[in-house]
Amino acid sequence: MKVKCYIQGMAAISPQSTFEGDITNMPLVRTESNRLACIEPDYKPYIPANSLRRMTRILKMGLTAALKCLAESGVSTPGPIVTGTGKGSLQDTEKFIKEIEQYKETALNPTPFIQSTYNSVNGLIALQQQGTDYNNTFVHRGFSFENALVDSMMLLQEGYTHTLTGGFEEITPEHFYIKSRIGHWRTEPVANTDLFNQELPGTIAGEGSTFFVLGAEANEHSIAALSACKLLYKPDPMQLTATLRELGADADLIISGTNGDSNHAHYYHLLNNTLTQPSIPFKHLCGEYETAGAFALWLAASLLKAGTIPSALFPMVQQLPSNFKKIVIYNHFYGEQHTVMVVERV
Amino acid sequence: MAERVFITGMGMVTAIGDNVAENLQHLRQQKSGLGFTDYIDTIYKQVLPVGEIKLSNEALFNRAGIPVQGGFTRTTLLGLVAMLEALQQAGIRNLSKEPTGFINASTVGGMCDTEKVYFDLINPEKEGDFIESINTLDCADCTQRIADTVGFHDHIATISTACSSSANALMFGARMIKHGMYRRMVCGGTEALTRFTLNGFNSLKNVDKQFCRPFDNQRTGLNLGEGAAYLVLESESFARANNSTILAELSGYCNANEAFHPTSPSPEGDGAYAAMKNALAMSGHKLEDVQYVNVHGTATLNNDVSEGRALERLFGRKVPPFSSTKPFTGHTLAAAGAIEAIYAVLSIQHGIIFPNLNFSEKMEELSIIPVTELQEGVLIKNVISNSFGFGGNNASLVLSKYEG
Repeated sequence: MKVKCYIQGMAAISPQSTFEGDITNMPLVRTESNRLACIEPDYKPYIPANSLRRMTRILKMGLTAALKCLAESGVSTPGPIVTGTGKGSLQDTEKFIKEIEQYKETALNPTPFIQSTYNSVNGLIALQQQGTDYNNTFVHRGFSFENALVDSMMLLQEGYTHTLTGGFEEITPEHFYIKSRIGHWRTEPVANTDLFNQELPGTIAGEGSTFFVLGAEANEHSIAALSACKLLYKPDPMQLTATLRELGADADLIISGTNGDSNHAHYYHLLNNTLTQPSIPFKHLCGEYETAGAFALWLAASLLKAGTIPSALFPMVQQLPSNFKKIVIYNHFYGEQHTVMVVERV
Repeated sequence: MAERVFITGMGMVTAIGDNVAENLQHLRQQKSGLGFTDYIDTIYKQVLPVGEIKLSNEALFNRAGIPVQGGFTRTTLLGLVAMLEALQQAGIRNLSKEPTGFINASTVGGMCDTEKVYFDLINPEKEGDFIESINTLDCADCTQRIADTVGFHDHIATISTACSSSANALMFGARMIKHGMYRRMVCGGTEALTRFTLNGFNSLKNVDKQFCRPFDNQRTGLNLGEGAAYLVLESESFARANNSTILAELSGYCNANEAFHPTSPSPEGDGAYAAMKNALAMSGHKLEDVQYVNVHGTATLNNDVSEGRALERLFGRKVPPFSSTKPFTGHTLAAAGAIEAIYAVLSIQHGIIFPNLNFSEKMEELSIIPVTELQEGVLIKNVISNSFGFGGNNASLVLSKYEG
């Protein structure tokens, strides 16, 4: 979809210090294992203590990022709430499956079942903010967040002034193990900072909760403009090349979803061959997960706002461009869902 | 001016039939699909009635026209059966001829099969074929397997907003058409019975041990069901140029959140009221133009009060004939919105109002009662179809007779 909309506020909980920090002086958090975990903020300023006790991790991360994002954007109501999540609340799903077994289907606590529902974070945000508008949750792996973006862009075209749009994901030790059985992760530990040293099968796992307020018009809060979001399902190389050329020919910075996974690296090689502008990775910052595209959008907008690329976060990039106005993000999830976003300076 | 959106194909499988014609036949014969499960491994096998499709997975592979193989969950297979009928009815043989998006809906994806092997998946000492089912843990798996089997290669998405999921899938597809992104979309949802959801709703004390009794004063809960349904949506200009058979128009829709409680609707039905009111306003029709409301009507204590109050608030003393078809199919969660959208189209096409089975006593909170006898030969031009879910997710659709 090619419609211009404006990022009026944003917040990210990630394995980096993104929630409080300023990107220009943010340290690169190094993780030696293959699983990057979020740096969780103090939730108390955002969520009452009695609610906090009942909430599992992704509910807290989802709600808190959404609330901070709303506060930063200066809007009084959330408007439509549209999110993407590949896995929803894994913790609750795992808990309920186990309790069914453990208690032999009797006297079960319904809370994990309720919270395992994929739209529970959306419902929670609506409840806390009295958001009675449109509300939707997309659950399609590497298309989850990007479908939420397409939906939001349509809503803005339909007359809404703004939307609250986000993506959230968690990785649990149990799910990390499950996905290791189908080769999602490197078999040997690799530090996130060394991820791109060589291409080998698998990558590192990650997680995050990232929210944006998107507006139809630019205003004093505008951080960056999102001008296109394109989804390609299992494209052939010709299709992918054509889309990258169409959307990226005049970009001056590329943000690549490259993740050191030799099984699917050829798409990122195709990107490098098609768009030869300066390029930076982002998966060493957030790890691989279904809605990592939301983190990439946060990164693009943060860099455009800062007007500079902090070298501390990208030690693997030799030369960082100093002047850039138009960023193209290309990402794919295990070779199936490919997405291209265009982000511009306001 | 955005294009009108027409329905040009429908396919379904539910506890009352493996295709649209069988569903219609059993609705007419007032033959419920509720009974006990043959396929779910649960202590409630002979306790909690469900709307189960009496076809084994092997039989479903056969219906779907593909060889028995790993990785295809019951969710996927039900979806494929419904999808093949929808495409056939719309006369679509080759999806490459016209870019066509696919919007699917699911609440628990392949849980029906993964719950059987989950403890092996997390046990390093267990090895075997079950490992190929790892990807079926999520909701996108069924969508992609259906897409890959029948040949969708354009925009795909999976929506999960609990019991309103496939109503939202239809809405999203219709909006993509109105925005000119596609001229044709196929939208709906698929849901298989699972031990997970059965225990989930049972833990909420929302499941009736008897056959469910929507809008009855003695109702005590829902019965779960399984099924899948897809509708082919086309823009007016495409449908005309393509000489498509237009079955009905998707003339209005609304998604509204109630922001009241994580699982319960508000007693006055604020979300249901807003969804119906706005969907009808979008359709351009008036209150008196609605001849039938296919209600969400789960037969839970809270839903029926809330939805009934919303009907009374919206329509005043002139509430149109309404009924819940959940006593036929059970509550099919993510598939319910699309299944009931097809029932709405059948109601328009054949001039039928389906009876609300198992009703005997008016609810004390309401002054209205559902239709209890099959009505035939009724002129039905506009139907409201409701789907309400956890998280305050409310969705209403307006289906209208196509009159050129």
